[in-house]
Amino acid sequence: MIRSTSRQRLCIALAAVLSLVLAACGGGGNSSSSGPTKITVWHGYQDTEGTAFKALLAQYNKEHPDVQVSDLYSSNDLVLQKVLTAVRGDSAPDVAYMFGSWSPNIAQIPKLVDMSSYVSQPDWKWDDFYPAERAAATVGNKTVGVPALVDNLAIVYNKKLFADAGIEPPNANWTWDDFRSAAAKLTDPSKGQYGWLIPADGSEDTVWHYLPMLWDAGGDLLSPDDKHSTFNSEAGVKALTTLQQMAVTDKSVYMDTTNENGPKLMNSGKIGMLITGPWDLSSLTDISYGVQVMPSYAGAAGGHQTISGPDNWVVFDNGDKRKQAAVDFVKWLTAPEQVKSFSLATGDLPTRTSVGEDQAFVGQLDQKLPGVGVFVGNLSNVKKARPTVQQYPAVSEALGQAIVSVMLGKDQPADALNSAAKTADAALAGS
Amino acid sequence: MPKLLGRIGRSESVNGWALVSPAVVLIGIFGLLPVLMSLQLSFQKSDLLTPATPWVGFENYRKLADDPVFVESIKHTIVYTALFVPGTMLVGLFVAAAMNRSLRFISVYRTAAYVTMAVSTISQGIIFLWLTDRDYGLVNAALNAVGVPSQPFLASPSQALFVIVAMTIWGWTGFSVIVYLAALQGVPAELHEAAAIDGASAFTRFRTITVPLLGPANLFLLVWLTLNALQLFDEVYATTRGGPLRATTVIVYYLWDRAFVHFDAGYAAAMAYALFVVILVITAVQFRVARRYVHYS
Repeated sequence: MIRSTSRQRLCIALAAVLSLVLAACGGGGNSSSSGPTKITVWHGYQDTEGTAFKALLAQYNKEHPDVQVSDLYSSNDLVLQKVLTAVRGDSAPDVAYMFGSWSPNIAQIPKLVDMSSYVSQPDWKWDDFYPAERAAATVGNKTVGVPALVDNLAIVYNKKLFADAGIEPPNANWTWDDFRSAAAKLTDPSKGQYGWLIPADGSEDTVWHYLPMLWDAGGDLLSPDDKHSTFNSEAGVKALTTLQQMAVTDKSVYMDTTNENGPKLMNSGKIGMLITGPWDLSSLTDISYGVQVMPSYAGAAGGHQTISGPDNWVVFDNGDKRKQAAVDFVKWLTAPEQVKSFSLATGDLPTRTSVGEDQAFVGQLDQKLPGVGVFVGNLSNVKKARPTVQQYPAVSEALGQAIVSVMLGKDQPADALNSAAKTADAALAGS
Repeated sequence: MPKLLGRIGRSESVNGWALVSPAVVLIGIFGLLPVLMSLQLSFQKSDLLTPATPWVGFENYRKLADDPVFVESIKHTIVYTALFVPGTMLVGLFVAAAMNRSLRFISVYRTAAYVTMAVSTISQGIIFLWLTDRDYGLVNAALNAVGVPSQPFLASPSQALFVIVAMTIWGWTGFSVIVYLAALQGVPAELHEAAAIDGASAFTRFRTITVPLLGPANLFLLVWLTLNALQLFDEVYATTRGGPLRATTVIVYYLWDRAFVHFDAGYAAAMAYALFVVILVITAVQFRVARRYVHYS
């Protein structure tokens, strides 16, 4: 319901969008033959990241007097809506930071620059990006962007709670059974203490916690041609049964329906383990934590797995001159030297293999943000990527509802997955 | 004389138009134009991404009838509205009646009652998330203290919608208090005095004098709160995101989800227009029925 306060916010947002559009128009009109080429980058960097990013921009502008790159902050969650509006109004940014999960959809935008002919040139060192990043940037034969950020999931655990419960901390050979029994021992309802916390709103945040388990057990989300779903396989049921046992039988999982409580509860010592990415480490200031790779299924076909959600720099075509300037800028921004300096300044994982395998660098990074080194090493456990199909949101939604209904004890794994597969197949066929 | 009047009349109308035109232009661009464009959108298949927007006629509207989630979202919206509107009016009337007297610090109480309206809906959502948390919330701590076991509240498919009803009643009470308080102050004191002299009790006076005179306030609140209840979105977005298991997926939330999560803007626009028609009908019925019961003097 929209009350006056939120209506005011809406007006302010509208006004902001309008001024954006006007500003962008002003920028466009200025591309005369003399003076530097002006391009705009939309990004969602704040605080430490924002400072580090602005420093890179300043450096680039200083070294390239013929180009002037300006930046505009835009919350990552909302940037797609804003870019769509701007594209409609013919005032698209030259470069924008976009979530990898949007790739199949943004591939449809006519103004998008297909980067494949650029990145195939040897001096881009495209193969130096991690395979999952390249997969998330590729839709059919198009390359929709250049990797901007990479992460992955691992176990972050509270050392004190493990010691108090008298159990060994997680090791790299943990099975899901080990994980389950540790979570049960860490749970103490009288203290409001849980072994594990899972985002349980049924969104992609829930789904991507389940996907590595599915892959691990030897299953897959969709058939190789992406035409129908295969997650209702034996492996899928096995993975979901683990979640069911933990949530329904053991009650060792705090089901976070808000997707916001994880780091807060972890930091206040209420949660034994989180399965999360490196971005949460900096908020865990009150506890002593350790990081370990995710568990696997004993003897399962998939081997050790995790998942990554890479994001991209996406370039839009605003005329040849600006397009070339934007491509050059992205090339510079994602070159190994800049990847290294940005990663070191922010604690974000390096997007390039050559940087991630530089042990001296990883040591330096880990010192700055303890535990991040495990995440860097874990990048080589990212073996699969989400399918880049346009119907992915529908597939994810169906699966997310199935997972939550099982974890709430409303449904059995096989039944829930079968009916989700039916919904997903209908969406996949509907294109 | 007629000539002169005509000229004045004309220049007055020019002046008038000049004065209202900024507002007309703004409302036209930001209000009317999007409304018309979304009508057009509702007959197209559009993902907001590709320039091709093929005309599909009434296909989007036909799909609505076969969409079980849409039907479910209508049910949730009806349940929500049926509880929220009378709830907010009753609580508001009670608080307003309690405050319609001269007490010490009355303005403090009145401010306190209204202050919830100053809390943004998103902050309100976050506050209630923590208050009603299954394991760490204050509400459960209070329940436990009197021996009632902890409730999952927003984490439970069977309770979440009712928590949102309670939360929004809390948020809107200030609004209905202000409206009722103004109406109560308009009730002539001499009527009460006369009735009191005739021996009517305070309750009888409230029932037979005050309540009938609150008709216009009731109608206004009924229409306004219903309009807002049918468009519930912020509070759901901030708390449950339509979950758990779609238990709080109301029409506008589902519409947003279709347009901006699933890129099915044409379908979402059709949903918006279906809702628009429903709101129009309900409001018309409310006004028609009210004619019989509402007295303006």
